[in-house]
Order: sequence, then structure tokens, then C-alpha cells
Amino acid sequence: MICLGNFSAEIEIMKKLLLKKQIDAFRRKVAKTEHPRELVIDLLREIQDRNGWVSDEGVELAAQILGVTPIEVEEVATFYDKIYRQPVGRYPIHICDSICCWSRGGEEIANHLQQQLEIKLGETTTDGLFTLLPTCCLGGCGRAPSMMIGRRFYGNLSLAELDRIIEQLREEAKG
Amino acid sequence: MNSTPQLLFKNRVAGQTIFFKDYCKTGGYQALTKALKTMSPTEIVDVVKASGLRGRGGAGFSTGLKWSFFPADAPRPKYLVCNCDEMEPGTYKDGELLAADPHQLIEGMVLSAYALNADVGYIFIRYAYDQQLRNLQQAVAEAKKAGYLGKNILGSGFDFELHLHGSAGRYILGEETALLNGLEGKRPNPRLKPPFPAVRGLFGRPTTVNNVETIANIPHIINGGAEWFKDLARNPEGAGTKLFGLSGHLNCTECFELPVGIPLGELIEDYGGGVWKKRKFKACLPGGASTPYLTAEHLDIALDFDPLAKVGSRFGTAGVTVFDDHSCMLRATLNLLQFFARESCGWCTPCRDGLPLVCWLLEKIEKGEGTNEDLEMLKQQQQQITGRSFCALAEGAMGPLDGLLRLFEQEVIDHIQKGECPF
Amino acid sequence: MPTLTIDNRTVTVAEGASVLDAAVELGIVVPHYCYHQALGAVGACRQCAVTILEGSQKGLKMSCLVTAEDGMQVSTCDEESRSFRAQVGEWLMTNHPHDCPVCDEGGECQLQEMTIGSGHGIRRYRGNKRTHTNQDLGPFITQEMNRCIQCYRCVRAYKDYCGGEDFGVMGSRQRVFFGRFKEGPLESDFSGNLIDFCPTGVFTDKTSRFKTRYWDLQQAPSICPHCSLGCATLPGGRYQQLQRVRSGSNRLTNDSFICDRARFGSDWANHPQRPREARIDGEKAEFSVVLSQLEERLQSLVDTYGGETLRLLGSPRASFEANLLLKKLAVRFGAPTPCYDAHPRRAFAARAAGSIPSGQLASLQQLRASDLVLVAGVDPLAEAPVLALALRQVVRAGGRVVVLDPRPVELPCEFEHHSLTQEALLRGLSAPEENELLESLRQQLEAAHHPVLVGGGDLLGGAGLLLLRRFSESCCGDSDCLIFPVLHGPNSYGGGLLEEPGERQRDLLEDLENGKVRALICLEADPAIEHPDPGRMQLALARLDLLAVFDHLPTHSVAAANIFLPTRTLFECGGTYVNNEGRMQAFAPVIEPGIPLEVSGGGGHPLRQFDSGVPGSAPHSAIHLLQQLLKDRQDLFGLRRQIVEEIPCLRDLDRLEAGDSGRRMADCGESLEESRLEIWAQEGELRLLPVMARYGGDQYSRLSQPLASRLQQPCLWIHPLEAAERGFGEGQRVVLRTAVGHFRLSLSCKEKMVRGRVMLPCLPGTPLEVFTPGGLSIPCQLYAEDDNA
Repeated sequence: MICLGNFSAEIEIMKKLLLKKQIDAFRRKVAKTEHPRELVIDLLREIQDRNGWVSDEGVELAAQILGVTPIEVEEVATFYDKIYRQPVGRYPIHICDSICCWSRGGEEIANHLQQQLEIKLGETTTDGLFTLLPTCCLGGCGRAPSMMIGRRFYGNLSLAELDRIIEQLREEAKG
Repeated sequence: MNSTPQLLFKNRVAGQTIFFKDYCKTGGYQALTKALKTMSPTEIVDVVKASGLRGRGGAGFSTGLKWSFFPADAPRPKYLVCNCDEMEPGTYKDGELLAADPHQLIEGMVLSAYALNADVGYIFIRYAYDQQLRNLQQAVAEAKKAGYLGKNILGSGFDFELHLHGSAGRYILGEETALLNGLEGKRPNPRLKPPFPAVRGLFGRPTTVNNVETIANIPHIINGGAEWFKDLARNPEGAGTKLFGLSGHLNCTECFELPVGIPLGELIEDYGGGVWKKRKFKACLPGGASTPYLTAEHLDIALDFDPLAKVGSRFGTAGVTVFDDHSCMLRATLNLLQFFARESCGWCTPCRDGLPLVCWLLEKIEKGEGTNEDLEMLKQQQQQITGRSFCALAEGAMGPLDGLLRLFEQEVIDHIQKGECPF
Repeated sequence: MPTLTIDNRTVTVAEGASVLDAAVELGIVVPHYCYHQALGAVGACRQCAVTILEGSQKGLKMSCLVTAEDGMQVSTCDEESRSFRAQVGEWLMTNHPHDCPVCDEGGECQLQEMTIGSGHGIRRYRGNKRTHTNQDLGPFITQEMNRCIQCYRCVRAYKDYCGGEDFGVMGSRQRVFFGRFKEGPLESDFSGNLIDFCPTGVFTDKTSRFKTRYWDLQQAPSICPHCSLGCATLPGGRYQQLQRVRSGSNRLTNDSFICDRARFGSDWANHPQRPREARIDGEKAEFSVVLSQLEERLQSLVDTYGGETLRLLGSPRASFEANLLLKKLAVRFGAPTPCYDAHPRRAFAARAAGSIPSGQLASLQQLRASDLVLVAGVDPLAEAPVLALALRQVVRAGGRVVVLDPRPVELPCEFEHHSLTQEALLRGLSAPEENELLESLRQQLEAAHHPVLVGGGDLLGGAGLLLLRRFSESCCGDSDCLIFPVLHGPNSYGGGLLEEPGERQRDLLEDLENGKVRALICLEADPAIEHPDPGRMQLALARLDLLAVFDHLPTHSVAAANIFLPTRTLFECGGTYVNNEGRMQAFAPVIEPGIPLEVSGGGGHPLRQFDSGVPGSAPHSAIHLLQQLLKDRQDLFGLRRQIVEEIPCLRDLDRLEAGDSGRRMADCGESLEESRLEIWAQEGELRLLPVMARYGGDQYSRLSQPLASRLQQPCLWIHPLEAAERGFGEGQRVVLRTAVGHFRLSLSCKEKMVRGRVMLPCLPGTPLEVFTPGGLSIPCQLYAEDDNA
């Protein structure tokens, strides 16, 4: 259970993590389903979409909505690669390092990104824009090498294409 | 170029998704209407059994036979779960299918549920398939509105409720019992079997788990009949068409719907456009990352479950990844093993601790620091892990290692003798 | 009952037993980690592989997952399974640090033993090992995750079996972490079981760190003295100091689990104020001198005033043998039969439990296998914690638990709680056919396959237990409805058997007050706080000519004694307790008595001070002291044999061995007629019910330093609506006025408790010790603290 001492502080933290209408929608779903826990991934994904990652408070909020303990949420949250339990940049870049992308230049893509962004895999740029995360197969094997930025898929990557995408995202962040 | 009958890809147009109106125009939901009005659930199971359809998720078990074990008369709720985790490297066919024509899966789900007398369905979708998830959301809404989903479907008295579950990314969820734990919101470790899902599956209730492509085939089987479906294959023991996802060192890496039993060489030359950069074919993974390599001597082989099993490999998901003759197979195998080690759920020892040990050995040899003892140890690891892990993940990881040691041992020895990678 | 052959040796095992069970039966060591008898098989570690040569499934299999079949042929010595087990050993060791020399588990580490057993010797892996950052899990347990071999036993024991909600498994692949969501003390009342269940040094006992290496530890099987359940324990100590307690194993009682009160509550044996020297009128004296003085004084008193003027008081803390010798002492001096509980209502409850025929009593094992348990008047986590664990197993197996109790009962499982006053519960039991709830429960119990009734002696009293027995007889459908009485001390049941038969026990206090009694001998008893009216009792004790006390705790009675003889604790002598279901269980001496070397040597290492005590001056056991007074020179076994000859229903007493599963007494309790209920509560008036505190409520655990952080703080429980009616809220400071005085306390609102009552968790050693659980509610009044000022 979320233990923040007083009720209004609790509300404040919740509001920061999810909109009231989102919380209400989940509460309605929880009330309707026989097995509220089945909503845990949906809920964590929604918290992550809104906040960029899932903080401890996010885990506690999910536990509270689902009526389970925080550790029960944490057990699941820490299992999945695409639930971030640490802050990531505004654009988390998942570079596929599985066999098909590897066979078509995935390693060069990863090296190039590390050079261009001046970070290593697993790190976040100092401007907080990009995090480089190696990932397993993204299902874009026919369009290798590939990567995902947030939920968006990019295939048939070339180094030039890569530079263009990064530049575009930098622009987007400015605007 | 593509003159074979198109079932699953018949509505496919590059870059587009077909929704309800267009799906219906080409005969969509006719099979469902026919079945609900004229066929009993047992009849459907019998037709599917007779069609020879084998599970498209990789294991290749007869779908009709699997269904016939399902306790259709058990009290409700009973679940039908569609596995669209599809995270095995080299496999992207289900994603292509759902990107093009999501209603096929919906129709197949309702039909299958009717055949099994299941009342609740889940489609489990991998994290990376965001577009596909949205396509399905729209398709479900449309099907509900048209009365193909929900209560009393087409006045038949049959109810079916369908949920979509977007995952958060782990290969182990493709294992059906891990997937069930994942759906329940628990840690997705595989479950001990028995009891099998048909007896105690999702939320402890009878459950069948089928792959996307398997289920999408059902409406076509109902429409065309078992004989017609069986005859689609090129080899006598085969049945139907198959989505072949090409990848690796080919000129054309796309997904094609082709008859089961098409020879490997034909697939590579006629559809893959041959090996890229005018290089030679060296090897391929015939059905995803867990299937042992095929080499040039296998180019005539019919791509189907039984013929591939005979040569020590597997048909798997028919995601064919090709390696040209410049490839270091040791390095490729290391990449594959790293994938499996990273995707281990951490439950059993051979997988959790054995696979990283294999990676360590492969890496050492690849760097030129390996010894003959390391090669011996590698062989031992392959023998000790195979068949002894809790679920099929580590077993699958041994596929490429087995291929490496069986077909490319000399390459490994070269690494050791030269003290560096010869490629 | 399949008969199978393992390594050419044949064994017959129970239906459903695994091949691993069969190997254990034969004494064949098949290494294993994730399998544990109490937790079952999950097939995760893959260490227990064997080769099935003949059977429905052949080849290399995990022996924990294969059910033994008739005619099965199994090999553990073949090359295939041997080399695989060695390989699993190598895999598990790839990340395990080579820190055995500094590891607290070293020497008693299952990983050490089973790695050797697996055949793995030389690690070929030369890469980096994965490392973790550890969590601070509070005062009881040290975590060292780098040593983890991911057998998942901890989480299965803590969460699945014990119902702990703040511990789990995080991460995946080769990076799995077992711990809490955030750092902090483990919350489960059974957290210490992590220490026993972890097969290596990930979870070790923080309270016994850096004291003894395992091979220097003196250990012996024992019985937990903290409640009446008689859980098997394995205490260990060295240099006259008790250093730790682990769970013993007795499938009939606690299986392999003990509560934290048992594990971390035994430091009282080392308490700095523990009285260790004999005294006459406050002056230290040689024990033999004191003993002969006592004998002389007793004799002269009896000669002058008659045996009627001597009273003896045994206790639920003292061993059965010592209590029985006390009875003989009474005979020798012509004194009335001793009382065995200073609290008359508790004494009667013990007698009532003893009057239930043995065949109608449930063991904890039977209770765990029940499908419907009705708990009447027990707060398990306070009065008998391991009962709460057993109830959880009932629910895990699909059974139900229904609790009838006025208290805000909590359990580590789902259960149905009907909150009703003690009086309403007793009234209901006296005429269950007129009570809708009880009638409906009776029908459900009748329909159940293995129904069990749990009854609390403290809340129901003897009269209530007898009513419960009658109720159970009306619930017997196809199978008998068994009873599981809960008493308050480790030997309450045994004491009850020794009481003088008769309808009602005389209240010792009345006899003391009317001046008939001139001398009182207390055997490990402290009437000054154990009697329900301690104030009056203390005055009465002061009027005695002679108060002789035998004890090892620093009690009021010890301080007031004219003659004091220190006794050994159960860790320092042998003896027997009879638990709540009439099971006689022996405990063995673990350490020598005497001041711990750590104290006498001034701490530090090497020793810097040397004790000047005369060898042989250490305390004697109560049994030995009483034997001296009785001129009895037998050893413990001779004594037990003699007891069996004299009291035939104790026939198995002389066959007991410490560490065995104990033996049920044959029926020998008196048959008690149902007696009048003492119910005098008026509707509408506010009454106070003193109840057992979860920690610090018993005489022992309050004196244990490691439990300090868990000791209950004084407070008064009240239903929130009851509080609101008076304009009070949570944490409100109030004055509680009762006949024994007024007390300043803060309110703690408990929604699940009954209305019309306030409840006080009793805390010996604090000003609240004038309240004792085990009685009926008493009138009281509540004021806001300011109003009263």
C-alpha cells in the first residue's frame, strides 16, 4: 500500500503520475474484473507513457489501484525490459542486437550512435534527450538493421538515415 | 513471381491495413457465418484435424488434435489465448499479418472459440507491435459493432468476449505457460507441466493457446475445406501455406506466403533474390533463432516439419535467416546464445547459469583465446543443457550451438589454432 | 505403497512420494536445493537428477518431480546423471563467491555439502561474477545476495508458506534479486525462517553474527517455551551463552517453521539480571547450605503448624518432571496438592483441555490438513503464532478458516471474522442450537471432511473449552470434529494433569489472605504478576513466614523470596513439556549453566578478565534441586521410568528422546462435568479485556534484547466508532480507570474488534503488568487525559 502519511500528499503524487480520469478508468476496470492483477502491465505501461519511466511512487500507485502490495508489482515490473525502473531520456533508443540486424550491420549502427551521442550503451545523454538501450529482436527482421525510439519503429537503417533521425528528434525537442 | 494461392496475405497491400469493410468485400466473416449456422463445434474440430494444420508457433503440433484434448464440456469460463509474442529473432510473420489484415485473426478467434466452446479470448501482443495492437483494437471494435463479437453472435446463442493484452517485452512470454502467468499479472516464469493448460490454464481454468497464423488459417480451412487446404502444400506430408519471413544476407528480405514444402533453394533464389553482394550461400536458420543451421547440402530440402526434423533441424516459425560465405558462424552462434542467455527468465539452472557459461566460452574462442579444452567444455555444455532445462528456452538455445558443433566444428578449431577469428 | 529399487536397494514408500523422497528414505544422498519437504517440488534447480532405468518415464529425470512407481529401477551412480549433477554444481558455483571462510553459513551450508555431493570440484569459469547491492532487512537478518544460487526457496517459504507480504523476487535472467521493495525491517512474524530455508549464506542470523563458528557450536534438540504449541527447535550456544535458535523439524507440530518470538526471543537465558546465585534472606549463600536451610525451615514449620500451612505452586514454565516432583514434595511435607498455575481460571482451562479424550484432539499436522477450521477465542499471532501458519496452509489448500473472537484478529491468510464479545461467545457455546451463527457453522462443520475446532483457554476458560467439546460432538458428520485447545504456557497441559481433581481449584490468594498459609514454594512461577489480581497477591505474599522461590528469571517473587534457589533454563537441562494437544516432548541440555564467558571475560577477544567463581557453583536444574529435597538420586531417565510405573497413562514418557516427534499422552485427565459459566457483563457498559500482546506479552520474550524493536508499546485498543462516540480518535491520550488503578495510555483504533470493549495488550515488566490475560472483562472508565488532569 502507498504510505504517504496524509491523503492530500497522496493525491498530489498520483496526479503527477497519472491523470485523474486515467486512475478512475483503471479503478473501474479493477472493480469489474475478477483478477485485478491482470491489469498490471497495462497500468505500468500507462504510467510509463505519461512519465517516461516508472518510479517507486509509480509502483506504489499501481499497487494501490490494483489492491496488491508494491513488491507484487515490483516483481513483475523488474522482469520486463520495456518497463523502465530507472529514468531514461526523452527518447529511449532500443537498438536491436539480435541475429538478423547483426547480420546486416547492427553493430555499426550501435557504434555510430554511441559516437554521435557520446554515450555508451545503457547511458543517457547529458541533455536528457537520448538513452541507448540494446534490445533483443524487434520483429523488424525483414527491415534490418532496425531500432525503436519510444514506441516508433525504424527499419532499413543506414548511418546517414540515423543522423537524420537524431537531428530531427533534437529539433523536435527544441520545438 | 508469386503465383501460389494467397490465403493469409490475399488482402495484403504494402503499407496499408485492411479493415472491416474491405475485409468483408473479399469474403471476410463468411466462414464464421457458415460455421455458426451450419456446423457443430465438433465438426469444426474434425475439419481442422483433417486439414493437417500444424501449429504455426514453432512446435508444429496438430491443431485439430490439440483441440480434441480440450475439455469443451467443462464449466465456464474457458479461455482461448492467441500467442502473438513472436520474439524469436528471424520471426516477423505474425507482425506482417496483423499489419495487413487484422480481421482474419478476429474471425479465426471467434471460430476457434466456437469450436472449443471457449467463452473468453485473449490476444497477447508483443511490445514492439504497437501498430498491430492498434490495428487489433480497431478491428475488435468493428467486429463488436457488426455483431461478430460479444453476446449471442449472429443469433447463434454463442457468446465470446475478446481482450487484447499488450506485453512489455520478454521472449519467455512466447512459452505458453509463461504467457499465461504474464496475462495473469504474475512473474512470467513457465509453469510446471502437468497440469497442462487444457486442464489448468489461465486463472486455473481450461485454456488453449494457439499462434496467430494458426488461428488465422481457420476461416480459410472452413471456407475451402480440409482437402483443399491439405493439397496446398508442395510435399505429400505437408498441409496448407506458410508465411516465410526472409532475413539475413539476401537481396530481398521480405515475408511471403508460400506452400508448405517449398524447397529451401527455391525460396532463397526465387523469393529472396539470391544471396546478397553476389556471395555464396553458407548456412541458414530455417525457422528462427532456435533451429539448427542448414547448409548448402540442404538446398533441395522441402521446408516442412518432418523433412527438417530428419536432417536434425526444425521448421520452427519458418523465419529463414541466411548467412553468406563471409560469415563467421562462431560469431553468429555467439550472437544467438547471447540472445537466449539474456532472455532467460532466471528460473532453472541450466538456462540461467548454463547459457552465460556457453557465451563466455564462445566469446573466449571467438577472441582467439580459446583452447582445445574450451572446445571440449563447449561440447559438454551442449550435451548437458539439451533436454534438461525446465522449459524449451535453453533447449532452443542449444539448436544453433548443436549446428555449430556438428556442421562447423572446423571453424571453431580454426579460431583456436590461429588464435584469432579467421573471418 | 509402491516398492522401487534405487542403486540396487529396495524401498517401499507412501503413495505419491517422489523418487527423491524414496532416496532420502534409503539414506542415499541426492543433492537438491529448490526441493524442500515442507515446500514441495518445483523443478527449478535441476540438481537432483537421477536416471530412471525402468518406469513409465525413462532416462535422466529430476527425482523431485518423478512419482515413485512400483517396480521402478533408479540409478544415481550412472555416468549420465553423475556428470549432470556435477555440471549443475559448476553452473551454480559460477557466480557464488569463494568466501566460505568468512561466511556465517560456513560449516552448515547446504551449498557446500551438496556441491561436494554433486561431484563438482574445480571451477573452470574465469570470468567476472555478478554482484548485487544488499538491503538492510532490519535487526534479525543479514542479506548477502552475492551468495545466492536462485533456488527460490526463500520466497516460497516467506511469501507462499508464511504469507509474508513484503518480500519477493525481482529481476530476471542471471540477475535475480530476493528482497524487499525498499530497504527496511522484514514485517512477517515468521521472517526468521529465511535463515533456515536459505541453503547458503544469503540470509543469516544477524543476532548471532560473529559469535561462534558452526563447528564450535553446541546444539541439541529442544522445545520452544514461548507458547503452548511445543514447536521443535534447535538452539545453539557456546561458552555458557545461548546464541541462537533455529527451527527443529517435527511434522506433527511445527513442521520446519518457527515464529520470530521463538527464534529471536530466547536471549532471556543470557539476561544480565538473571538470578544465578542462591540467597537466604537476601544474602548470597552456597546452594547446599540454602537447600538444607530450606528443608529445615519447612520441616520446623510443618512440625509446628501442620502440613496444611505449606503451599506449593508449580508452573506452566517448569518441566513436567519438576512439576511432578513438586507434587511429591507436597506429599512428603503433608501439604495440599500444588497448584500449577497461579491464575485459577487458566489452571482450570488446562484441566479442561486435559479432560478431552486424546482421540478428539487435533495435532497441528491434522489441523493443516483440515478443510474447515473454526477458531473460537484465539488470536493466533499473539497466543500461538505457528497456529496462524497452519491456518494459512488450510486456506492455501482450498479450505476455510472462520474466527469467532472479540479481538482485531489478523492472520496471514484470508479468513472470516465474526467479532463478538467474550460473553456472547460463551453464551452462544452454552446454547449453540439457539444461536443462528453457531448453528450455521455447526452444519458447515458437520458437512466438512476434516473439521477442526480451535479453542482458546484464555478467552473461553475451562468452562468454555468444555462447552466447545460438547459443540464438537454435535458437529461430527462423516468424520470426527477434532479439537485444538490453545493454552498459555509450554507445560500448561502437563500442569493441568497434576492438579488436584475436583470441581473448582481453590484460589491460592484466598488461602494466603485468610492467614492459613505460612509458607509458599514457587517453582519457576511468579504469582506476583501471574495471578489475576497482582496487587492483592503481592500484599498477601508479604505476609508469609517463608517464601521460597526456584527460578531463572528476575521476577518479583524472586526479589521478595526469603529463600531463593537459581535454576537452570531449559537450555541447560533435560526435561519434558506437554503441549496443548497432550503431546509429551523432551528437550535436551544445549549449553552448560553459568555466566556467559562473554560477560565474565569482560567481552573482547582474547579474554581480559577471569572469573573468580568457584567451579560447581552454577545453578542446578529444578529437577535436581527437588530430587535433593526428596533424597532421590535417580538420573532423569530413572525418574521418568519411575513416573511411568506410578502413573500408567504416561506410559511413553520413558521412551521419549529429544528431537523425536513426541508422544501423545494416553487419556488420564479427569473427566470434568460442564460447570457453571461466570458471565456477569452488563450490556451497554464499557469493559476492559486484558489480552495477550504479540511481542513482550510472555515472561520470556520481554527479556530478550533482539526482540526490543518489536516489543509492543503500551496502548489501548478501541473500536473507532466507540472512540468517536466519546469524541476520541486514533492516538488520543486517555486515562483508563479500573479497580486496580488508573493508567495513561494512547488509543489505537481497531476496526475489526468488537464494540463495547476496550482491550489492553498486557505487558509484564511495565506498569501495565497488573493486568493479566486469561480472565473475563472488567469494568472500566475512559477519560481524555486533559479532563482528568
